[in-house]
Amino acid sequence: MYLRPIDLTTALRPSLLPDETLLFVQDAVGLYEGKFKIPQYQNGHAYLTSHRACYVDNEDPRKASVAVDLKDVDRPELYAGFMKSSPKITLIPKAAKGAARYRGPSASVTPLSSTPKPYSNSSSPLRSSTSSPAPQVSVNATWVCPICSFSNPVPSNFDPATATAHTPIPPCLACGIKPPLVNVVKAALTAMGNRRESAGPIAATHNTSTPTFQCPRCTFRNHPSLTTCEMCSASLVTMNKRLEVAGIKRAESPGLSLSTSSPGEESMENIKFSFRAGGEKIFLERVKSALIQRKWLLHSAPPVPKPGQVSADGTALDADAARSNRMVGIAGLERRGQDLRKNNELVIGNAFEDLEALMTSAKEIIALAEQFSSQANLSNNCNGNNSEAAALVSQSASALGLVTTKDMLGSGSTSDSLYVSELSRNLAEFLTDDARGVLKREGGIMSLVDLWAVFNRARGGVELISPADLSKAAQLWDSLKLPVRLRKFKSGVLVVQGRDRTDEKTVASLLAWFKLAHQEPPEVDVSWDWSRWGRGATAQEVAEAFGWSVGVATEELEMAEEKGVLCREQGLDGIRFWENWLKGV
Amino acid sequence: MDPPTTTTSSDPPPSNLTDLTPHYTFPPFFTLQPNLTTRASQLSSWSTLIQSYARSSHLFSLSLLDALDSPLFHNKALGRRLSARDARVVVDWMASSEGGGRAEWKNRFYIFYRRPEEWAEVVEAWVERTGQKGTVLTLYELTESDAVSGEEFCGMPGELLGRCLGVLVKRGRAQVFGEGGGEGVKFLR
Repeated sequence: MYLRPIDLTTALRPSLLPDETLLFVQDAVGLYEGKFKIPQYQNGHAYLTSHRACYVDNEDPRKASVAVDLKDVDRPELYAGFMKSSPKITLIPKAAKGAARYRGPSASVTPLSSTPKPYSNSSSPLRSSTSSPAPQVSVNATWVCPICSFSNPVPSNFDPATATAHTPIPPCLACGIKPPLVNVVKAALTAMGNRRESAGPIAATHNTSTPTFQCPRCTFRNHPSLTTCEMCSASLVTMNKRLEVAGIKRAESPGLSLSTSSPGEESMENIKFSFRAGGEKIFLERVKSALIQRKWLLHSAPPVPKPGQVSADGTALDADAARSNRMVGIAGLERRGQDLRKNNELVIGNAFEDLEALMTSAKEIIALAEQFSSQANLSNNCNGNNSEAAALVSQSASALGLVTTKDMLGSGSTSDSLYVSELSRNLAEFLTDDARGVLKREGGIMSLVDLWAVFNRARGGVELISPADLSKAAQLWDSLKLPVRLRKFKSGVLVVQGRDRTDEKTVASLLAWFKLAHQEPPEVDVSWDWSRWGRGATAQEVAEAFGWSVGVATEELEMAEEKGVLCREQGLDGIRFWENWLKGV
Repeated sequence: MDPPTTTTSSDPPPSNLTDLTPHYTFPPFFTLQPNLTTRASQLSSWSTLIQSYARSSHLFSLSLLDALDSPLFHNKALGRRLSARDARVVVDWMASSEGGGRAEWKNRFYIFYRRPEEWAEVVEAWVERTGQKGTVLTLYELTESDAVSGEEFCGMPGELLGRCLGVLVKRGRAQVFGEGGGEGVKFLR
């Protein structure tokens, strides 16, 4: 099992890959490798995403944060805990590549992964105890095109058990005609049947023959001592794995606790997550569903078929589409719009018809949603100023993969505080995200109320957060060492600003701005010596100069006054602030 | 020499008011600061300004109402003035121990650019210098006569003079006798 170090976001959460979504978070989690605790990985957060199970340490998150790729996980196993021993979830790794996945007799615990593995390309079992290989479509499962009788491979993620009429099937490679579903299902089932029968004998033969190591790229079986593939010279996977294939075992761990401070990166041990504050049940459940969904395949999944291909007589429609392309003028435009709408309708219809299909067409749907929101934007633009906020909303809606919601978190006594702390991290990420630049646009500081509004807008109307939760979350920024902080002005106004923006810096920048007035004469004649005293500025002027809101500017100016850097002048046109020449001259 | 005990807005502005305190031309100087440290330093600047003003125009007391329109509290060139309330705060502060007891309220307010004790020393030094120790002087002689016309304490209000003579009496340097306008003072050797 590979524990690999992971990147963290500014808020010390795992940074997610494209398409990756956060499924579950649980705090007070420790890591075990095999039977042994991994020192320094004993108190942290477990983040389950659609692709990975991550551990982020509480003490030293930048150093001690690791993740297990779910694609390497064969199945999770639950240990319910006993007396003082906490419940644990064991992630059992898949056997090394080139060897068949081992499925123990405890297959009832296994997630219902009747779906085929993506890269099951060989059937030589590593361990002789193989008893019941799971149904899989081996790579050589083929279906024969009824039109041109070309043998096409069954797509690796095709699942005969769950396939429906809407499951996307790539068309024939030779003639481009989509096959009837029945053909493909049959082909897949046959292939699986063959595999079951042949599994045992093959195991026997391979155990006796010299062990080989299969190249992940070209599937050529290399001798285990080679570091690059003989055929395609792709570098072969880590030494350890090959050694393991060759039957060389890893030394036993010496003690109850691993002596190394970093978890073994290439060991094949099980990884255990120890749940000291509960949450293991939901974690298990989500791991299982993640293992079934296999979002990591998504980026290589075939695109949702276009309407021209979906319908039975694909050729006719294709020709139709071709003809429509040739249309010109308004009629052509109208026709194109119509086609587009039809396509959208179809995609949406397909996607919502059943969940399985939704998962496969997720990409398409997201793209559509984005498109819709940008259209909504366009209409908003006509209204004027609103456009920026609207743009923000639409950007965020798509970028909001990283949302913490209440149901994502474990139950139990700690779940409330966990929710708040996750929300706190969430907010910090939202604020510091450079792409969105929420904080930057507000001049590096914004009131908590504004943040609440923008954040809830960005959530797009679902899982809105309450003001109470927001203020609780904001108060946690300090203790979580996040890069933003909550500041309370003298008047009680709460604002959010970057941690690097201290009062001293603000004062310095204000002072520098005021100093500018000594250099250039003011626009209107003034009765005082401007080169000596500079000029007075209202909160309004300062707000404009610094891009703050007037309320914030007032607070900042008063803060500077409080520090004795500025002084005020009460005039008919309100309060003006000046450099403090009264002090110590 | 005009009797300088009263000030009206018709008084010529002392040309050096700006030189006395540079803050006189600083607009925020005319707004009482909320920040306590700034305010303390502002008040002491005001105190300095008022004392210097009084000294240079030879004033012993001011009427607040009149003074508000005087150049002291109203910088016409700058277009800024100290409000009556703030002026009162300034004088109150001067009168307080924090302000060093540099003013005192008596209908109008006295400005002690010299405190009574300091005045006493000035008067005594003059008596010493003019060799009048042991002689008896009337209060009128001390403040209004030609003999003192060039002196700082010339024109000092009787009440203030009484107080500084009181200081001298306490120190055993002088003796005051008589009453009701015809008081005399004898400076002891």
